[in-house]
Amino acid sequence: MSVAAATPSVAGLFPLQSVGITPLEASLFVFVLITAVLTALFRDVLASIVVFAAYSLGLAVLYTFYRAPDVGLTEAAIGAGVTTVFLLLTIAKTTRPATDARFEAINWPAVGVCGLFVLVVGATLPAFPAVGDPASPILANADVTGYYLANAYDETGAENAVTAVLAAYRGFDTFGEAIVVFAAGIASLLVLGREVFTA
Amino acid sequence: MSSDRLNGDTRDSPTDSRVARQRPLYSESQVIMTTVKAVIPFVLTYGLFITFHGTSSPGGGFQGGALIASVVLMIAFAFGIESTRAWLSNTLVVVLATLGVAIFAGIALVPMLLGENFLDYTAYYPLLGDTLGLKKYEFVKYGMEAVEIGGIAFIVAGVLMGLFFALAAGMTPTSETNTVGDGIGDNANADTDDTGEVSDATDAGVSDDTIDDSDTDDATDAGVSDDTIDDSDTDDATDAGATDDATDGGDRQ
Repeated sequence: MSVAAATPSVAGLFPLQSVGITPLEASLFVFVLITAVLTALFRDVLASIVVFAAYSLGLAVLYTFYRAPDVGLTEAAIGAGVTTVFLLLTIAKTTRPATDARFEAINWPAVGVCGLFVLVVGATLPAFPAVGDPASPILANADVTGYYLANAYDETGAENAVTAVLAAYRGFDTFGEAIVVFAAGIASLLVLGREVFTA
Repeated sequence: MSSDRLNGDTRDSPTDSRVARQRPLYSESQVIMTTVKAVIPFVLTYGLFITFHGTSSPGGGFQGGALIASVVLMIAFAFGIESTRAWLSNTLVVVLATLGVAIFAGIALVPMLLGENFLDYTAYYPLLGDTLGLKKYEFVKYGMEAVEIGGIAFIVAGVLMGLFFALAAGMTPTSETNTVGDGIGDNANADTDDTGEVSDATDAGVSDDTIDDSDTDDATDAGVSDDTIDDSDTDDATDAGATDDATDGGDRQ
């Protein structure tokens, strides 16, 4: 969605301010968009990974701008940090064909499909409310979110309402997610045919 | 092969023209080691803060656990994956991950034994309220913190560390006789320049005992958790299932 939202920002920054996107956020959108495209275009996998890390970092900053520091922190730690390390570790075990070409040859049918997808997703953009619009449905009839914001501190004693939702109100979901992480560790051992992590 | 780290620039190796060489996994760098040494205490503290302060500020067990695991990842990048692997016991990683699941499941299931709902932290109030001197809603807060710290952070930190070392070791060649938890995955084909690569290139389906002296300490560590490994011959050579060695060898001869 962020990629799609960045598409009209190329046209000009001023119309975006009417929907609550500041020039700084718009430039972050452009940064994320450029790094995303470069990730696909670079022929050298190492360059792709580095640009992909920059893309994750841009997203993390963007999330922070939109008052989602929990998500931003996760994106920075997992997306920009650990994923990059894992990808570097993987390409360190591979060889690459020697070539002088800097960019991948552009696959025009793929570009057409992607462009079509962006158009379809972009067509839904006018249906979105402006950023922070008090009349938006999520704030106007805030049955669920309103309840959390009004009662989370009294009922759980947690100042961070996000944690209150994740660990108390929706604790069952979080339990499942934690088990998924655990299962991912076991599955990696299974796929790699190992019985120990280290050693 | 060369001293650059993970960048695999083909233009500086004149012998490889058709196939690029394998990137070395590790080479010693004073700059990286010093930087990591300086940064690690702060990253670890920040990770612990994020974990322990998850109910009061942005963050929580997931983010904090990832940061704590990244400390080990940084150590491995700076000081070599194999020496870090020898230093970090498999038991610690496995215990972290499984203990996390056990703590989370335990905290979640005990309320059901007490006749309340799954993960209903207030169920502990009649049991422990007087002894701990806590109000009812405070049980929710401390229950959440217990789940965040003892559950999620443990699982994420353990699994991320484990994934890192499992990925670094790579695929274990399939073998019918391979029943114990062996170290075939990390038999280092020490220097791909010497004759060791011939035996390594052919050991895909065979067990790995036909390897020259330089890497016997790795090849024979079946079942042994941590044998002392020196940096120089192991770090840059955890093999990826012998396929790249085969191409590399064919290229050089």
